[in-house]
Amino acid sequence: MTAPATHGAATERRGLALPSSIDGTLVTLVLGAAILWFAPAGMGRYGTYVLSLWLVMSIAVMGLNLTLGYAGLKSLAQAAFMGLGAYATALLTSKLGLNWYAAFAISGLLTFAVGLVLGFPALRVQAHYLAFVTLAFSTLIWLILRNEQWLTGGVFGLSNIPRPSFLSVKLDGALEFHRFVVVVTFILAAALWWMIRSPWGRAFMALRENPVRAASLGVDTRMYTLLAFAIGSAYAGFAGALYAPLVEFIDPSPFSLSQSFFLLLMVVAGGSGYLLGPFIGALLGVVLPEWLRVVGSLYLIVFATIVMLLLIACPQGVSGLIERGWAKLTGKAGGR
Amino acid sequence: MKMQWILATALSAALGLPALAQDKVKLVDVVELSGAGATAGTNWKNGIDLAVADINAKGGILGKQIEITHYDTQTNPGNTRAAVQRAIDEGTYAVLGPVFSGPIGASMQIAQRAEIAQFVGGEAANLTMQGNKYLFRTSLSQTAAMPKIAAYLKNTVKAGSVAVVWVNNDFGKGGRDAILPELEKAGIKVAVDVATEQGQADFAADAIKVKNSNADAIFVYLNEEESARFLRAAKQQGVTKPMVGETTLLGSKVIELAGEAANGVKGHVGLSIDAPIPAFQEFGKKFQAKYNYVSDHNGLKGYMAVYMIKWATEKQKTFDKKGVADTLRGATIKPSDEPGIMIETTIEQNGDLDRESFLAEVKDGKQVITATLPKIKP
Repeated sequence: MTAPATHGAATERRGLALPSSIDGTLVTLVLGAAILWFAPAGMGRYGTYVLSLWLVMSIAVMGLNLTLGYAGLKSLAQAAFMGLGAYATALLTSKLGLNWYAAFAISGLLTFAVGLVLGFPALRVQAHYLAFVTLAFSTLIWLILRNEQWLTGGVFGLSNIPRPSFLSVKLDGALEFHRFVVVVTFILAAALWWMIRSPWGRAFMALRENPVRAASLGVDTRMYTLLAFAIGSAYAGFAGALYAPLVEFIDPSPFSLSQSFFLLLMVVAGGSGYLLGPFIGALLGVVLPEWLRVVGSLYLIVFATIVMLLLIACPQGVSGLIERGWAKLTGKAGGR
Repeated sequence: MKMQWILATALSAALGLPALAQDKVKLVDVVELSGAGATAGTNWKNGIDLAVADINAKGGILGKQIEITHYDTQTNPGNTRAAVQRAIDEGTYAVLGPVFSGPIGASMQIAQRAEIAQFVGGEAANLTMQGNKYLFRTSLSQTAAMPKIAAYLKNTVKAGSVAVVWVNNDFGKGGRDAILPELEKAGIKVAVDVATEQGQADFAADAIKVKNSNADAIFVYLNEEESARFLRAAKQQGVTKPMVGETTLLGSKVIELAGEAANGVKGHVGLSIDAPIPAFQEFGKKFQAKYNYVSDHNGLKGYMAVYMIKWATEKQKTFDKKGVADTLRGATIKPSDEPGIMIETTIEQNGDLDRESFLAEVKDGKQVITATLPKIKP
């Protein structure tokens, strides 16, 4: 809470309605979904694709936000979980001809289950040791994706991944699929909103703030640690299940360790522990580099500079900045 | 009166602007400028810039200047797809790039759906096996190069067993999968099959594995930097058996980095600025003068890609996007018709290329061409 709140007339649409009241968050989600439903009009296929990619990454970041921002567990395996979901969906739909909805559910269940198994070490090790465990897991998954060519296509990847249909409507077009992504993202975000408000959410936050105290108050820390990690991983699986049909091609590179770091950056830059933070974080991570294409070959340098300045100016991410700005405007103290 | 003149000038300038814009043809290059593919991608990009500068200096294509834009893919399939989509939304006349096979696989359907020709630097065999009529290579595919290498190993090197060293990415894996059946057909035994990592720094263990296999020859299929490191490690470990490879093993970058260790390396070269073709050597000099380093085969590929577009457009005499692909399929471009193509190139129906290639050897720190191999279907 020490950083100055001077920078940033942040005009982020979602952020404007981010008062301390959580119901404002839900209103923002509904409004955001409605706007995004119509947003691609006149944007062309490229703009629509980038919007869809942004939402898909937001889902993965939402999951990591739950693990890191709410439960305080540092995971470096989010991209690996996303890869598990993406490959599971791609294989089930393109090789076995399963329908996408079943593949989506299986991807979520699979990553949830693997998250549970991987979460066990989280009970024994804390902080950076957990990061090491997840780092090892991330590398392991990447090696499997790359080397088990009979299953995953290895370095050549899997292509021609079919897009789902809704009732009898084909979602092959960019706009149709974008709207589908908007709906799925909204449902997942609303589910998370509900979860955070529930006793579960409070238990997750208690884990982050003071695990010993949480345990003394009767919170089953073992169960909640596992749940936070597994649910966060399942969100990565859901994101992967959307990523595969969006790009229609997957290979191991988007699920490597460096991508896990990038997802972590999105959580922190967006504001960890804020429900809308992941959307802002993913906006910075996915859409900002595309906007910066006008500056030509310097765009990665400009991007890195913006992110660094942002983190210096507001260590709590954009959401923290907006919250403090809002508190100043209304004269109220902000809360999470 | 003066005011009227100013107004008239301003008006004509304003009216003139769109006319000026119409005098340009837009090309977008979508390529690996950061990430794992940055070395290959930068060569490709510079080759394209060189070709565009040359063509524009000579009046452009059908009188229109080329306006080139480069988009970085970060060597990431998702970003590549976005960039190719953007290129098409912006009305590019044709898509240039990418170079790595994974990103090509992720983006080729978009150009195909838009019926726009895409010129890629990838060599992996499977790219042209998917019935995409808008995808064109700019170099020989691995399926075309590997039989030549197997024949060379059998007839010239007279190897009975070979150690295969490859890099585990789409390029290396594709090459390995293409050479193994060819070796079997030639009756050559694979003594040891060594997978290495992209970006690997220490090849000592791999060199020892190769040495212990006691193979008659070593087939090295790594990217440029890794090739140089492997050659150095092999020399340190006292590996004396002949090293045979493809374009990447004999590249100028490898010779520069490996120094002494590169001497004696032999192999098959698709495109090389050292080939006994004056146009290639001239390209090499121009490239060196402009960018102050020696171009590898990706620079040549990028350069030729632009000239393939120029040739097709001048042949069809109009800027018809779909027509570019239709005109190129099955065509043979001769340097006498289009000097920029540098070497007679036949484009097959599936987008593969057929052209002459070379056998080369590194002697005293220089690549020397020892033989010219004819086209597969002369």
